[in-house]
Amino acid sequence: MILHTFKKETKELWRDGRVRIAFFIVLLLTTIAVFISTNHYKNVNEQYVEASANEREVWDNQGEKNPHSAAHYGTYAFKPKYPLSLIDQGVDKYTGTSIFLEAHNRNEAQFIAASDQTGLARFGDLTPDFILLFMIPLLLILIAYNSITKEKERGTLTLLNSQGAIGWKIVLGKWIAIFFPVSILLFVLFISTGLLLSNLPDFGVFSWSSLFALFVTYMIYYAIFINLVLIISASVKKSGIALVLSLSVWILICLVLPKMASNLAEYKYPYPTRQEFAANVAKDKKLGLDGHNPWSKAAKELEEQTLKEYGVDSLSQLPFNYDAYRMQKGEEHEAEIFFKHYNYLKTQYSNQNGIYQTLATVSPYLPTRFLSMAIAKTDYNTHWDFSDAAENYRIETQKFLNDHFAKESKLGEWGFKADAGFWKQLPKFNYEPPSLSEIMKTNTSSIIIMLVWFIGSFTLLFFTTKSL
Amino acid sequence: MLRYNFKYEWLLLIRNRWIQLLSILLFLLFGFAVYNGNQKVEARQANIETAVNELKTQEAETLSVLDSLEKGHKVSVSRWRLPSRPVVIGNSLSRVVNMPAKSTAFIATGQSDLFSHYVEPTVTGDDLSLSYTEMTSPVQLLFGSFDLAFVIIYLLPLLIIAFSFNVLASERESGTLKLLASQPIRIRTWVLQKLGLRFFWLVLCICITLIIVFAIFSFHFAANWTSLLVLLAYIIVYALFWFVLAFATNIWIHSSAKNAIALIGFWVLFVLLSPSILNQLSNSLYPMPSRTLMLNQVRTLKAEATKKQDEILDSYLRDHPEYAINDSTQTRNFYHRYMATQNLIKEELRPVVEKFETQLESQHQWAHTFSWLSPALTVQNALNDLAGTSEKDYQEFRHQSLAFAQEWRNFFLPFMFNNQEFKKSDYKNLPAFEFTYKKDATHLRILGLLGMSLLIILFVFVLKPKNKQVNIVA
Repeated sequence: MILHTFKKETKELWRDGRVRIAFFIVLLLTTIAVFISTNHYKNVNEQYVEASANEREVWDNQGEKNPHSAAHYGTYAFKPKYPLSLIDQGVDKYTGTSIFLEAHNRNEAQFIAASDQTGLARFGDLTPDFILLFMIPLLLILIAYNSITKEKERGTLTLLNSQGAIGWKIVLGKWIAIFFPVSILLFVLFISTGLLLSNLPDFGVFSWSSLFALFVTYMIYYAIFINLVLIISASVKKSGIALVLSLSVWILICLVLPKMASNLAEYKYPYPTRQEFAANVAKDKKLGLDGHNPWSKAAKELEEQTLKEYGVDSLSQLPFNYDAYRMQKGEEHEAEIFFKHYNYLKTQYSNQNGIYQTLATVSPYLPTRFLSMAIAKTDYNTHWDFSDAAENYRIETQKFLNDHFAKESKLGEWGFKADAGFWKQLPKFNYEPPSLSEIMKTNTSSIIIMLVWFIGSFTLLFFTTKSL
Repeated sequence: MLRYNFKYEWLLLIRNRWIQLLSILLFLLFGFAVYNGNQKVEARQANIETAVNELKTQEAETLSVLDSLEKGHKVSVSRWRLPSRPVVIGNSLSRVVNMPAKSTAFIATGQSDLFSHYVEPTVTGDDLSLSYTEMTSPVQLLFGSFDLAFVIIYLLPLLIIAFSFNVLASERESGTLKLLASQPIRIRTWVLQKLGLRFFWLVLCICITLIIVFAIFSFHFAANWTSLLVLLAYIIVYALFWFVLAFATNIWIHSSAKNAIALIGFWVLFVLLSPSILNQLSNSLYPMPSRTLMLNQVRTLKAEATKKQDEILDSYLRDHPEYAINDSTQTRNFYHRYMATQNLIKEELRPVVEKFETQLESQHQWAHTFSWLSPALTVQNALNDLAGTSEKDYQEFRHQSLAFAQEWRNFFLPFMFNNQEFKKSDYKNLPAFEFTYKKDATHLRILGLLGMSLLIILFVFVLKPKNKQVNIVA
């Protein structure tokens, strides 16, 4: 019975001109999107390699210089682009790509791509994730909206029933017939992306297992969508109504709820403005140790403490340059302040995330979106991870420079200059993104919500169609 | 016939509760959207106000220190933070260069969630150090905001589709079309009348609910009635376009489900696909140069400039003798060299920075030229312009604030190069900033959309469907 229904439905779908056209339009769009994304990915990667190399060269060839001047001169950490961004661009367009690493300051990533684009960019890009998340569910609706209503309208349902067909078996046959073409489309897309990526020179951290995880995520997403559309089709009498209802559900799930979530999140847990954030940091900094100010209260305390610790009477008797030592202490103190304030941002975001998760219980789009971005390493968490890694590198760099300053010079020797060859000794910045299993761990809640949707919608479909 | 139609349609819409449902739905959607928009605008204004107040307190403190200094009292401020040093004033009392919200800003979020609404340019900072993007969670930017523009552009067409997709087909499907065909009226005229009446009721619902929602959120009708009229006009033209499409599909396509598919196809094409395709094309045609590579250039330039600081300062002073003419000490310190190099770097970077501006301008031009391809885009642009949140407005803010930043620097340069102290009396001469919105909004595009709608109606009437009236009925 299931096989018969499957065969009949597939044949019918294939004969339907609209479905064929829609299928080919989606296929064409996907091809264009993959082509554009590949080019974009290649470009960005080339720029990344070139920029990192150039920046390092500028750093290495500073010539003789005071280590602290070099610290102020600073260096840049550039964010790499990951292979699966080819499929899901995630929030990459809205996060900066380069972080300036300098003394005394933790900087945010600069240069948000969206700010260099016209307002059109806010409508969305023609990227594979746009097609996967929005267009294919629409295609599913187009294929599936009348699969049960048409039987009612033509009166064939009664015929089927008189043959002794069981409701859920018919529906399962139809279900597979709807799922089949879409899964082929998806399979071709993912396989070709995989082959494309593994054939790119310098394809970085691409792994087939991540690609597979992404594939499974979308498969589940589509299964949920098919269930929803079939539930609607089984519950109403007319095809037109079923179509309009399915479409309303689509727009609610994919457009309205995410926007509502974003509004709610911003309203309940707002970020400070950039200037406010800077002012808060400056306020905290003023209260503590400033490496450049030996007269503040905190500086005096540090002085006494250091003298006691080394059992000497004056700073010049210390075995190192106290000025540089104070610089380093100030740096450590400032790093703590930045840690505190950036942690506040993170807490705000994780609270916001709570709202997204709550609304994910009514919109399967949300967990899919988050999971897909996470696996593609284009989500906000990966950005935070990168930003934290850059900050750790900055702190290490400052220590490296200040220690050299303290060791090689005497108190008050501000004119000290490090050798021209010294800069090359600074280790390079190397960023390792979180692995797939780590990503899965941080996104457990999204996975659970998706599975609940998956099982829940199947159960509901079974009960609505048990006796058609 | 029109009179019958009018009466019958009204009874029908009231009895199957279409009007009631539509009014409630519109009220909820508009209400939530305006509420969100207002939240955003309030937060924006509050942030600016906090910054201004902060500056005022700081000003009061600084002025009292200056006063004490001028009277010869002792002050507890470290030597390089004395407000008599012009560089201290120029860096710590930078103005809150802000872009206040228009009274209509709540209509469309536009680019307002992406960009900052105030910057504080300092005397030693350069243009590139001013960050114009706001600290927001990128997830929020990705999902966008549920604003009035979203309701109008995305949701309203769907309401219209649901309201009109089966006007003719349902008559056929329920068998009443044959009765209708026996009446002395052309089917096309009848559908046009029927849809025209639905359009009328929808517009009435929109106007009433929108005005009620605006009144609830205490919109200043007296001061902003023109904006309200413009907004309503935009909505009506956009709604008309979708009704016209519905009219055409009703005439040409004969089953209600196929009708719905065709209309939804149009919706996907106009609202989702064409903006993203246009965006992709504009990016490919006028690609932005790489910001990361620009950083490399900036860094190399700065490194070179720092090495030659002294020469740069000398030649700078030769070019600008006015700056140091009244200085008897002729002492030069770090900041003199720094400011001179800053200027040089800015000049040398100008072509690099301008490349970004011109590319963005070309993208914008291109997108503008082709935006008529999608009515959704036309209306989005019009609403953003009305709200003062379009990318043009933010570009304008960038230009005006950068010009002010230069003015700010120029104000302090003579002080610095003449090694002249900053006096309390100089305070009132500090430059001030006020943002003015550029007024070049035209309604030409909207009129174009209106023209397009009328053309489609004409087209449907002149170009008879291949199958004759008889076939329509059959």
